[in-house]
Amino acid sequence: MSEEMLEKIQAIEAQRARIIAGGGAKAVERQHAAGKMTARERIEYLFDPGTFTEFDVFARHLGRDYGLDKAEVPADGVVTGYGKIDGRETFVYSEDFTVIAGTFGEMHGRKICKAVDLALKMGKPVIGMNDSGGARVTEEMGALSTYGQLFFRHVRSSGAIPQISLIMGPVAGGQAYSPALMDFIFMVEKSSYMFIAGPPLVKAVVYEEIDEANLGGPPIHAKISGVSDLTVRNDRACLDTTRTLLSYLPSNCNEKPPYSETGDSPDRMAEDLVSIIPTDPKKLYDMHKVITRIVDNGVFFEIKPEFARNVLVGFARINGHVVGIVANNPIFMAGALDVKASQKAARFIRFCNAFNIPLVNLHDVPAFLIGSKSEREGIIRHGSKMLYAYAEATVPKISVVLRKSYAGGYLAMCSKDLGADFLFALPTGEICLMGPEGAVNILFRKEIAASADPEGTRVEKLKEFEDKFVNPTYSAGLQHVDDIIDPRRMRPTLARALDITMNKFDKLPPKKHGNMPI
Amino acid sequence: MAEEIIAPMIGKIIKVHVNVGDSVEEDDPVVTMEAMKTEMPLVAPISGKVTEIRVKPGQQVEADDVVAVVE
Repeated sequence: MSEEMLEKIQAIEAQRARIIAGGGAKAVERQHAAGKMTARERIEYLFDPGTFTEFDVFARHLGRDYGLDKAEVPADGVVTGYGKIDGRETFVYSEDFTVIAGTFGEMHGRKICKAVDLALKMGKPVIGMNDSGGARVTEEMGALSTYGQLFFRHVRSSGAIPQISLIMGPVAGGQAYSPALMDFIFMVEKSSYMFIAGPPLVKAVVYEEIDEANLGGPPIHAKISGVSDLTVRNDRACLDTTRTLLSYLPSNCNEKPPYSETGDSPDRMAEDLVSIIPTDPKKLYDMHKVITRIVDNGVFFEIKPEFARNVLVGFARINGHVVGIVANNPIFMAGALDVKASQKAARFIRFCNAFNIPLVNLHDVPAFLIGSKSEREGIIRHGSKMLYAYAEATVPKISVVLRKSYAGGYLAMCSKDLGADFLFALPTGEICLMGPEGAVNILFRKEIAASADPEGTRVEKLKEFEDKFVNPTYSAGLQHVDDIIDPRRMRPTLARALDITMNKFDKLPPKKHGNMPI
Repeated sequence: MAEEIIAPMIGKIIKVHVNVGDSVEEDDPVVTMEAMKTEMPLVAPISGKVTEIRVKPGQQVEADDVVAVVE
C-alpha cells in the first residue's frame, strides 16, 4: 500500500469522523439533557450490532444565502442507511437535532427521499425518526419542493412496503404530513409534538394562545385527533416497540407476515371464557380479556389503544401465524361503532389487507351509533369505510359473534355477506336486523297501545320475537353462521380456520382503484 | 379537586346510585345509563364526596353531559 493512498484514506476518515460527531459535544449534551438520544444513538440501539450501513454521509447542504454557504452542516442534519433488525433488512432515516435543529433543507430531504426510494425498490420497510425544527426557511423552495417529493414517495410506497414513523422530538409545519402518509406513528412522551403550525404562528394568525403540549403533544394525538398510533415512554421504549411491530409485518406486500413458533398449543381451551362473557346482552365486559385468552401467550399488540376505545385493533399470533384483530369493546360506548371507531377500524383493516395479514373479527356490537350528533358527524359517510374495507379485503377473514351483532354493525364487523370466509357464533350470539326491543316496539305498536296491560303485551311479544329470530340457530339455519361453538373452543376453532384459509385465493376485478368513501 | 362524571354517549339515565353528600370510592358506580341497548355504569373517577347530581332516572342525556361531580 502506498504512503499516498494511506494519507488519502486518513483524510477521508478524519472528515467522516467530524461529520459523524454531528453538532458537537455541547449540542449532544443538550440533546441528552432533554431526555433524548442522538440520531446515531437511536440507530445503534435499534439495529443488530454492526449491521447499520450509512449512505450519503458526505452529502453537503445546498444553502446559498444568509451566509449559510460557508456553514458546516454535518450530513445535512439527517442520518440515512440500512441495517438489520432481528436479522431483517430495514431502511432508516434519522433526523439529527444537534445539527441546526434537524431542520429540513433540500439535501436533507433528498437524502430521506433516497432512503424511501431504495426501500421501495428493495422491498424493505422504512423507518423514519423525526426530530426536527421544521423546514429550513433559508432554503425556501428547496425545502418546500423536497417535502413534496417526499410525500410523493410515501404515497407511491404506500401498501408496497411498511412505513413507520417515530416522532422523537418536534415535527412542525408541512413536515407533519410525512408521518401522516406513512402506516404507523409512535410518539415519545414529553419530548415529542406534532402540528402544522406552532404556537407563535397560531397566535399571530388565529389569535389562539396555546402551548406546544396542548397543541400537539402525544396525549392530544393519541386520544383526541387519532393522528398517533401509540404513545411510548422514552426513546428506548419507542425503538423496542418498533422492533415488536416489525415482528408482525412482512417486509413488503408480496411476502407473508413472519411465522414464529410461540409454544402455545392451538388446541388450548380457554376455560374462563365461560364466565368472562355475560349472557345478559345488556351487561358489559372488557373485550381485552377475550383477546388475551385466545391469542398465543396472551400477547396482543394494540394499535391506537387510547383512541375510539369502543373498537380494538391490533396484531397477535394464533398458532404462530400473525393475525390482525378487530373487536368491539362493549365496555366503551356499548361497543357501538361511531365515526372515530369506523375510521380506526377501516384503516387497520386496509393495512392488514395490503400486507397479507388475516383478519379475525370479534363481534359484540349493538349497531352504528345513532342519533342526531352521529348523523351530523357523517356516520353514513364514515361508517361505510368499514363496509368498504372488509368487502375489499382479500385476505382470510374469520369472524366470531360473541353476543350481539345487530343491524349494520353485523355487516360492518364482517359478515359472510361482506366476504367472511368463516363466521362462528357463540351460543350467546344474536344476529338480527335490529335490536329486538326496537323491532317489537315498531311491529306491535298498535297492539301494545291497545292492550289492557301494555307492558305485559310488550314483554310477551318480545319473548316471542326473541325465540323466533334472536338466537344463533336461526342464523345458522340460514347458513349465515358456519357453526355455533363453545366459547372455550374459540382458539382451536380460529386456529383451524386459519389453517384452511392460509392459501386462500381471492382477487378484485381489474381497475385503477376503487373509490373508497374517504 | 373536583372531577366531573360525563356521559360518554347519548342515552337515558336508568338509576342514580348515590345521594349528594355520599362518600364514594374510585370506580363505584354513581349512575347507570342505558344506551345502545346496553346498561352502562358511570363510575366515580376518584374517591371522595358526591357534591352534585345533575340527572334523574328517566332523564335523557347527550354525549359529554356532566351527570355528577365528585370532590
